[in-house]
Amino acid sequence: MTAMTDADFRRAIRARTLRRNLWLAFLLLPPMAVMFIFIFLPMGSAVLYSVYEWDGLVRGDFVGLENFREVLFEPQKSKFLFNAFKNNVIVFVSVMVVQNGLALVLAMLLAREPKGYRFYQVVFFLPVILSTVIIGFQWKLFLNPVFGLVNNLLRAAGLDSWALPWLGLPETALPSMILVNAWHWVGFPTLVFLAAIHRIPKDYIEAARLDGASEWRIARDIIWPLMAPAVTIIVVLTFIGAFNWFEIPYVMNGLEGAPGYSTDMLGLLFYRTAFGSISATDSDFGAGSALAVLIFLFIFTVSLIFTRLLTAREIELA
Amino acid sequence: MAHIVMRDVQKRFGNVEVIPGASLEIKDNEFVVFVGPSGCGKSTLLRLLAGLEDLTAGAIEIDGERVDHLSPSRRGLAMVFQSYALYPHMTVRENMSYALRVARTPKAEVEAKVREAAEILQLTEYLDRKPKALSGGQRQRVAIGRAIVRDPKVFLFDEPLSNLDAKLRVQMRIEITKLHRRLKATMIYVTHDQIEAMTMADKIVVLNEGRIEQMGAPLDLYNDPDNKFVAGFIGSPAMNFFDGTVTARDDAALTVELSDKTKVVYPCANPGQAGVGDAVTLGVRPENFHFDGGDEPAIKGEVYAVERLGGETYLYLQSTAGHETVVHAVGDHEVAVGDQVAVNFNPARNHLFDPQGRTIR
Amino acid sequence: MNKRHTFTAKAVLAGAAMMVGSSAVAQTELDFWSWRQEDVAAYNEIIAAFEETHPDIKVTYTAHPATEYNTIIATALAAGEGPDIIHTRSYGGLEVLAKPGYLEPLDEQVDMSLIGDVAKIGTTLRADGHVYAVPFASQTVLVFYNTDIFAAHGLTPPETWDEFKAVATQLKEAGVIPLANGSAEGWMLEIMSGALLPNFYGSEFFGEVTSGATDFEDPRFVGALEKMAELKEFMPDGYQGVDYATMKQLFASGAAAMFVGGSFEIPGFRDAGVNFDIIAGPAAEAGGERMVATWLDGGYGVNAASENKEAALEFARFTASQEFGQMLTDKLGNISPIEGAVSSDPTLAKISELQGASTPYIMLVAYRFNTPTGSTLIQNGLQEMFAGSKTPAEVAHDVSEGIKASE
Repeated sequence: MTAMTDADFRRAIRARTLRRNLWLAFLLLPPMAVMFIFIFLPMGSAVLYSVYEWDGLVRGDFVGLENFREVLFEPQKSKFLFNAFKNNVIVFVSVMVVQNGLALVLAMLLAREPKGYRFYQVVFFLPVILSTVIIGFQWKLFLNPVFGLVNNLLRAAGLDSWALPWLGLPETALPSMILVNAWHWVGFPTLVFLAAIHRIPKDYIEAARLDGASEWRIARDIIWPLMAPAVTIIVVLTFIGAFNWFEIPYVMNGLEGAPGYSTDMLGLLFYRTAFGSISATDSDFGAGSALAVLIFLFIFTVSLIFTRLLTAREIELA
Repeated sequence: MAHIVMRDVQKRFGNVEVIPGASLEIKDNEFVVFVGPSGCGKSTLLRLLAGLEDLTAGAIEIDGERVDHLSPSRRGLAMVFQSYALYPHMTVRENMSYALRVARTPKAEVEAKVREAAEILQLTEYLDRKPKALSGGQRQRVAIGRAIVRDPKVFLFDEPLSNLDAKLRVQMRIEITKLHRRLKATMIYVTHDQIEAMTMADKIVVLNEGRIEQMGAPLDLYNDPDNKFVAGFIGSPAMNFFDGTVTARDDAALTVELSDKTKVVYPCANPGQAGVGDAVTLGVRPENFHFDGGDEPAIKGEVYAVERLGGETYLYLQSTAGHETVVHAVGDHEVAVGDQVAVNFNPARNHLFDPQGRTIR
Repeated sequence: MNKRHTFTAKAVLAGAAMMVGSSAVAQTELDFWSWRQEDVAAYNEIIAAFEETHPDIKVTYTAHPATEYNTIIATALAAGEGPDIIHTRSYGGLEVLAKPGYLEPLDEQVDMSLIGDVAKIGTTLRADGHVYAVPFASQTVLVFYNTDIFAAHGLTPPETWDEFKAVATQLKEAGVIPLANGSAEGWMLEIMSGALLPNFYGSEFFGEVTSGATDFEDPRFVGALEKMAELKEFMPDGYQGVDYATMKQLFASGAAAMFVGGSFEIPGFRDAGVNFDIIAGPAAEAGGERMVATWLDGGYGVNAASENKEAALEFARFTASQEFGQMLTDKLGNISPIEGAVSSDPTLAKISELQGASTPYIMLVAYRFNTPTGSTLIQNGLQEMFAGSKTPAEVAHDVSEGIKASE
């Protein structure tokens, strides 16, 4: 073997660096291409569409922010936006309280590994893997006022006055859907919380127990602060999910957010504005795209703020 | 102010018997060390006492009162964990005061106790830091501080020094001993390190496979181990063992022949414990060898490693008696690797173990 | 499609060149898209009849899922593709295709003299007044009643509002659900309003409101809504949650005696085996008007970009013929707007007869062009009215305001 000069070594190092960069590019390019085609391109075209007038699917004149002005400030249009927004807020808050609250309780209970906890873990998670459309349809049948399972059970239990047309009343339609959503999804935050609790070293909990903390104090003072990263993830995912909520309200009460727009959501409003609904409206791509852009900007901004705020209280587990 | 009695304490995890049955007594103010190799059940025994594990059978009393049904916090104990288990989201102050706050102690009293403990442990300037911003030794002290503020009757330490470097370990050993004198509390300390046991304990409890092998003052265990396990575990470097056979017996001594035909006469009070022809083990501590020659029996062998430290010398021999032998000699000795040496030992200061591993006294 | 056609044409030309004097005829292939998946067999028969008289034209019928059809056809046309013959929707749905110029204006190229003006409104672009598709079928809103239940309780079909309520009360007392309709789906409430409101607001109202002489806060319209609201007590328990499928099931199973619905329900109820008959919505009072609301379902249009426009126009002319109207009636049970197409089916014949006194299905016919649409407004308003959260006057006000804002 002949001796290598300094230049040889440097060349070899450069070649190694190049090989590594090529390999990185090889790995990164396909996902970046996919992201570009399926995320940035549609996002860009939505922005582009939103500044034109549309005749069905034919692009008309450039109208600047006119579509945004219409959906935001024309009372007959903006009232739908604000009503849907209000409903999405209700969904977010309720899901946080009902679904994630329940998930937290379940996770804390499961973390203590009661008899048969593995079975319960599977049972709670099972609905998560089912299709949302199927679940929406199935619960729509359960909640049918005439022959639905829920009202039949209530009547059998002598609670005739409780046998309401759950999906037909403005007061009960949205709460019913939120509960259905909770039934569908509760296993997911439960599992995430459970994993977070399992990640907390047992010593902390034993130390707190020796310090005289009750189970409640342990949950509040030790487990809860230490599962902050999981809470961040769940809050942000819940927020995004709540403001993109579509399948359950669509399947259960249709595109118009029946009854009386009490279950209208931004997603439904966007869909029927952009694509129209057979029974009531025709498509308006301009206004629909403007809505899509607004919804995206809102979700993006608030998710970012949530992430920032919540990450600040996260603790690295030593 | 705590007198602890464990009576035939048993612990089983599923089918695994971790503690088949242990009884011991700890006097008020005593510093007791549970020592043994990993998996010997010492931590389990501590956790049973703390109430972090439930007994399978037996009883635990503190000051004459059954406590094994009480929750951990009501036993009047404080524990320092191997990992320190400092709450990572709380400051040092919050960590130290947590137990008091849980007990709804008046604020002023909490503050006073935290200050006092912080002063004892030199933590005053770190009170507002989070554990992440502390060094290993400081964390260790916070963990101890957290125990101190509770004024417990008994302190439990679960391998508290194993995460520290050697120098800090020595320092903390001394600090904990000082603390014991100052607080006048019962302390139970679990370690696998027999040096910690020897240096800190009033009483050592040697555990092996869930059984208590021997209890006693450190030097009693060193000088008079009950069995081969304790003899081998206590003392560093560990005792050398040589297989041998009893060739003769009289009223006050046994004659043992080692595998290289070296004959050793072992004086003892109960020679009847072994018979002629029995396979026995001779134990010689490294520090019991000397180069003084004379007519004392000798172990011969070739030096395969030597450590000359000036004040003392360690020799590692491949002995003709068939074992690697460690020799600890005071002073400097000019020995090199490959040398053939013979080291003498005083049979009266040695130990002989019967086929069951019991000491023949 | 166009590619396939080009290929075929080339092949035919080549063939013709080689076999001069042979009997081979150059065939033009036409594509025909529709959303009527359930009608494929019937359309193929009708097309076969057309091809018999037009051996040089071959028509291929393709049916897309109804819920996606609007998007599919609009996307194809926007891309400069699409079939030669297009089954179009009507009113606002037609404008979406006609306004950008995708459709060929037909009124000067196709003889539509057999088709009434009311039907042609559905396929006329309001902007230029041209007709862009040959109207194909009308739908009518009717009251269905179960003849077995009526016979069992000795009831006769009600003629007036009071009789209607009397019959309903009698049925309810006998433990039968008088009316299968629920209010869970807005569009079914609009259908219900189509059967019940016109006889209260009268035949003049449509013209006046569309011309701007009055608005929806007109006492006639408010009064009609008030009457409709009286029906709550005759609807199923929990009617607010009763959806379309449940309504049909209640009527088809005989649990409910009456059902307000569109004429498109007839085949389904026949298949279910329920014995029923139809009547127009009840008159406000004895001797009052008894109108049925009708609308045009759609039409047959010609792709303005078609390469076989002449052949496609020939097919369009066929769809405007009496022969075609008769086939539509016979094979599909549709009510053809073509004069002289008479049905041998007594129910369909009866509908044709009821259509003698017809009124436009108001929101679809006149207010389906801007946002918010009249359908959106009335559906939501009726839902609120049936949920009890708004009074008829408030609903009328909301509808009126919404329509003014959309114009």
